[in-house]
Amino acid sequence: MTALRQAGLILLIAVGLAGVTAAVHPKRPPFFAPPRDPNEVTLAQTKPWAGNILWVDARSESEFATEHIPDAVCLNFENWNEQFPKFLDRYNPGQRVVVYCSATSCQLSREIAAKLKGSGVDDAYFLEGGWEAWKQQSRP
Amino acid sequence: MEAAEPPMSTVAQSIAGRPILRVARLLLRVAIAALFLFAAITKLVDPNSFAEQIANYQLTPWPATAVLSVFLPALELCVGISLLLGRWESGALVWVAILLTIFSGALLSAIVRGLSIDCGCFGRSIENTGTLWPLIRNLVLLVVTGFLWFSRGKK
Repeated sequence: MTALRQAGLILLIAVGLAGVTAAVHPKRPPFFAPPRDPNEVTLAQTKPWAGNILWVDARSESEFATEHIPDAVCLNFENWNEQFPKFLDRYNPGQRVVVYCSATSCQLSREIAAKLKGSGVDDAYFLEGGWEAWKQQSRP
Repeated sequence: MEAAEPPMSTVAQSIAGRPILRVARLLLRVAIAALFLFAAITKLVDPNSFAEQIANYQLTPWPATAVLSVFLPALELCVGISLLLGRWESGALVWVAILLTIFSGALLSAIVRGLSIDCGCFGRSIENTGTLWPLIRNLVLLVVTGFLWFSRGKK
């Protein structure tokens, strides 16, 4: 049997297996819209937290250096070990932590918020719309 | 289009006469199989999480991302089993090369766009790997795949 025919058969079996996974897996993703997370907050929801909020910028250091929400701290997976102690220096227990990344399509803020929760930061949320939403709101 | 099975390459002929190279080839094939099986299983445990990791690359709209989150691990599983058993090896190697090229392209695009994301190569089991080292690893694996391809007998 030729390599291409073998590759085709492997593809067919994989498609079948993927179909079964999509149909019955308890942790299958929603296929039409990304899941709404209870830890997702809108800018409007963060307004009452003013004064007791620590913004966390999950984008790259270069993007953070260019522009960021005032008083935000930079924290991402790439440099987690160096940046997490700096985050802890700024964090006061009881404070709300809101993580943002570039836009709605970016899932990184969700993951950083989840990791912060796992690290003992209970009030960790992520911002719907991310940096783009912030920029839009701060335009005159 | 169907390529005719080629005669044994020079590399394959040279390996056929050297038991130590035959063993090395077997070990490399099993190592790639194990890597793909591990990658598949860690993603199949939680496709929803894997979908979020794919979404971080910002390359595909959500429905395609969700489909990829179940399709890629399924394909990796089939390829891993095929390589482990030594059945349909040529076809599996074609997929290994295609997948590694696609993954490397995605990693490279993330690096170029300055995205600070986790590779997602092994679901949530291995995190904080960034993108540069996985890209280098993929390129090394592509070289190994090339060796396995050119040294294969008629299968």
